[in-house]
Amino acid sequence: MIAQIKAELLKVRSTRTTAGLLLGMVALILLFVLLTGLLSSVASLSSAENQRQLLSIGALAGVFSALAGVLLVTSEYRYGTIRPTILFTPSRSRVIGAKVLAATLAGVGFGIVGEALGWAIGYAILSGRGITFALNSGDCVQLALGGLAGIALWGAMGAGLGTLLRNQVGGVITLLAWGFVVSPLLFGLVPSVGRFMPSYAQDSLIGLTTNHLLPPAAGGIVLVAWTALLASAGLALTARRDVT
Amino acid sequence: MPPVVVAESLTKRFGEVLAVDDLSFEIDSGTITGFLGPNGAGKTTTLRMLLGLAAPTKGHALVFDRAYGELEYPALRIGAVLEATDFHPGRSGRDHLRMLGQSVGVPDSRADEVLALVELRDASRRRVKGYSLGMRQRLGLAAALLGDPELLVLDEPANGLDPEGVRWLRDFLRRFASEGRTVLISSHVLAEVAQTVDQVLIVSHGRFIVESSLEELTARVSGVVRVRSGDSPRLAAALIAESLKPTKSDEHTLLVPGATSARVGDIAFAAGVAVHELATEGSSLEEIFLQLTSDEQS
Ligand SMILES: Nc1ncnc2c1ncn2[C@@H]1O[C@H](COP(=O)(O)OP(=O)(O)O)[C@@H](O)[C@H]1O
Ligand SMILES: [Mg+2]
Repeated sequence: MIAQIKAELLKVRSTRTTAGLLLGMVALILLFVLLTGLLSSVASLSSAENQRQLLSIGALAGVFSALAGVLLVTSEYRYGTIRPTILFTPSRSRVIGAKVLAATLAGVGFGIVGEALGWAIGYAILSGRGITFALNSGDCVQLALGGLAGIALWGAMGAGLGTLLRNQVGGVITLLAWGFVVSPLLFGLVPSVGRFMPSYAQDSLIGLTTNHLLPPAAGGIVLVAWTALLASAGLALTARRDVT
Repeated sequence: MPPVVVAESLTKRFGEVLAVDDLSFEIDSGTITGFLGPNGAGKTTTLRMLLGLAAPTKGHALVFDRAYGELEYPALRIGAVLEATDFHPGRSGRDHLRMLGQSVGVPDSRADEVLALVELRDASRRRVKGYSLGMRQRLGLAAALLGDPELLVLDEPANGLDPEGVRWLRDFLRRFASEGRTVLISSHVLAEVAQTVDQVLIVSHGRFIVESSLEELTARVSGVVRVRSGDSPRLAAALIAESLKPTKSDEHTLLVPGATSARVGDIAFAAGVAVHELATEGSSLEEIFLQLTSDEQS
């Protein structure tokens, strides 16, 4: 299993896809932190909740971590490398399991870069504009580590989703539509259901206090449950389907 | 020595299509077997079942006495290439091999070895995007060889290869088999493999129509001689006297199965019949193959 994970991590590293995703992630986080940090008034940025929002922008890395997870699986179907992969490792559960774990580890990488960037720029803006830091250390740990955990789990969810769908374009579109269209709509219309969507579970995990969110621990459990659900559904399907 | 590959009543149905219909066969070690049949005959599907990629509807296939998926590290005993194009275009050939090798504990140095073996060393760090079809084919072969296998399974390996590539592959497979290892290659063009294989399995519509050594196959349909002469009736009588069975094609032409043109020419000469045209027909393996597979279809 360790060998398989190593192989999967090499797949992540050996194309330019990952570098491209990292670049996109850095650009997007930079843009959002700068816009939020520079365009908001000093008064607004002085509230703890708004500082939390600013410093949680690094969690956008979850989008890229999830994309990397989707691509780790779907590019194998797109380019046919799934055939040699399964020939070398016929155990579908070992392959899928290793992909989910490798995507989680890659997600940790995305998370470290994204969080560090979001925090560094966000904190620099706050102190540069002479705003008093309003978060205590417990808040900060929850924000940073919760963010990191969420981003890593997004990698695993992406791999699970990719395994379910197999189609690369379909997987990417489904992921983005789910995260940016379906979940916000659902949360807006039926918050009692919408808060169980992974993006809102992640918000609760990192300690955002938006109305209707789950408690942080529950948010964490929901994220893990989504990961387990997607990965095991993907595995169940893969085990039954022929590799063509 | 037990057979390397055993298929028993192997069957695969895709909805209405019976792609593989109750195939049973064995392949002995040290042989090169050609698995032949027209497009859509069920070759790829059979190989996929053999290699654990597809589940049979009925029956089973064993490699080295076990189902492929139950072997500990199958890639260390069986090398296979199903498609010549199974690479991520943005990954280097070497990284493609490394990632496969790492999954079964094969060191990166082995990747360099097989790259040298298939003469891809210079291109190994370039992205596959820039490889020619021939290079991709050799990279696929390199992947199959990573685990230093005893059995090589190649699906249509000659597809798209230039004559030099075909020759290179043939020499390579001969060398491979001469070390006591086993090769199973499929093709829809008999001529591509005729000079390579020891025995042939010919399928059409998912069923065997021929299972024999190459010599048997050649002997079995040793050609039809077409002879145009000045006196067909007299020549026919002479041929029948030599226990051949000529049939009339047109007024001046006879078809003589199971004979060589030399023999027919000699008989005509002895009988004093002037020969106007003498030709061997249907004697190329390709024609035999077409004849056999079209018989099956009609
Ligand atoms: N995944 C599949 N789904 C449906 N039909 C298939 C599938 N794979 C193969 N077939 C059908 O099975 C038959 C045999 O195909 P195949 O094994 O690819 O033949 P060959 O390799 O000899 O050309 C064909 O009729 C083909 O259309
Ligand atoms: Mg085929």
